[in-house]
Amino acid sequence: MAYRYLFEQMVRRELRQKYKGSALGVLWYLVNPLVLMGAYYLMFGIIFKVAGPDQPEQYPLFLLIGLVVWIFFSQSLLSSAPSLLEHGALVRKARFPRESIPASVVTVQLVTFVVLLALLAPVTIAIRGTLDPALLLLPLVLACLFAFVLGLALAVSVLHAYFRDVAPILSAALLPWFFMSPIFFEPESITQRATARFVLEWVNPVAPFIGSVRDVIYGGAVPQAADLGYILVAATLALVGGIVLFRRMQGELAVVV
Amino acid sequence: MSARLDDGVRPGEIVLEHASRAFSVRADRGRSLKELLIGRARAGGPPPVEALKDVSLRIEPGETVGIVGRNGAGKSSTLRVLSGIVPLNSGRVACGGQVVAQLELGAGFGRDFSGRENIFLNGALHGLVKEQIEERMAAIVEFSELDDFIDAPVATYSSGMFLRLGFAIAAHLDADVLLIDEVLAVGDEAFQRKCEARIAEQIAAGATLVLVSHDAALIERTCRRVVVLDGGRKIFDGPVGEGMPFYHRLMGTPEEVAAP
Repeated sequence: MAYRYLFEQMVRRELRQKYKGSALGVLWYLVNPLVLMGAYYLMFGIIFKVAGPDQPEQYPLFLLIGLVVWIFFSQSLLSSAPSLLEHGALVRKARFPRESIPASVVTVQLVTFVVLLALLAPVTIAIRGTLDPALLLLPLVLACLFAFVLGLALAVSVLHAYFRDVAPILSAALLPWFFMSPIFFEPESITQRATARFVLEWVNPVAPFIGSVRDVIYGGAVPQAADLGYILVAATLALVGGIVLFRRMQGELAVVV
Repeated sequence: MSARLDDGVRPGEIVLEHASRAFSVRADRGRSLKELLIGRARAGGPPPVEALKDVSLRIEPGETVGIVGRNGAGKSSTLRVLSGIVPLNSGRVACGGQVVAQLELGAGFGRDFSGRENIFLNGALHGLVKEQIEERMAAIVEFSELDDFIDAPVATYSSGMFLRLGFAIAAHLDADVLLIDEVLAVGDEAFQRKCEARIAEQIAAGATLVLVSHDAALIERTCRRVVVLDGGRKIFDGPVGEGMPFYHRLMGTPEEVAAP
């Protein structure tokens, strides 16, 4: 792993480059998701109370946990899609593992995500009293989520370098995708139709990840075996697929970026 | 810590066999999905430029080779292929050992980062680890002559300082193969002499040099062998004493002017 240090350097660069010179610096990475969380909390937690879980007063916690998972997912993809083009000078003139570019972008988002979760999880556990051995599954669930997002990020970054429509399509798709994801609702509380529930719970690959994170922190329970199996398979498929696609397509990167 | 996974070449050895490479010439280099879906429907436009046509080249470890030719002859493409940044359409390329390509000094510098931070980043790009970079730090800073500026953001550097730092880093990377593209024309004369001296040291230590330059005198000073490219083909390959007159005739330059 001669390039482990390169990866470390790339993460450091990614983390500091974007907001260098601004007063808040890296704190900006937290401000945007916190503002977003505040807005959704106001919208769905206070103004519209959508069909939520059992105890309405704890609904904001339910919402925010789903939201941080979504923010990690969507921000990682949105910022990795143009990342190879943004590092064009490097890609054109130097030879190094190009995977390190999208990987560093996702890693920076992971740091943000873990910080947000570290703020949110103790509050949730304290209020809901959901301190349960199931929490020990959290590292596994987060590892699967990271692998899943990393695989997709590798794919969208290399695809966008060749086909410049990928990033705009992605940003357009993420909005409806957000509303289809079980972030501010639980599928069983908004529909009884089996097909609709199947789509909401299983066709959307983000749903089982949100469900599993929420189960262990908010629910204090072990996720269903089906959910755990799903996220393991989804993470493996996404990561292997992303790496294979990246390796196959990266040859011409120096020419196209 | 080989930078390439190559079959059967020794460190410092370079092999290019029947190498061909074409580039499409389009303003927007990426393709759009529409084109992908419709197929290669977009007719018209200029045909691809063949930058390299069936070029074969074998360079032994420790050789010093200059590549000359007109603009667009395929010199830079050759270096990009040898460095592994651009793949071939057909043929085979292999470069043994640690390859250090200086195609553009300071490529990939983070402009908001200090010179010192960029040394770490650039060293890492070449596969070095932290300790290896720290070992060389003092030598790199001294070579770059940046003194106190080394801790200032490179965005504040003059172009000369920027290039001096870029060269200083690349010059301390233990290369088996040095690929240099017209980057020595940087800095003032004193710094140029220092760069040449540093390259000579690396050659004395056994490195192979491939140098692209329009500076005939530099090629004559530095290289013992010269390859002349024209229109993507190799049209001369031999000792510099015969190659440079050949090149001057090709370019229509009077030989006496360029002779030392």
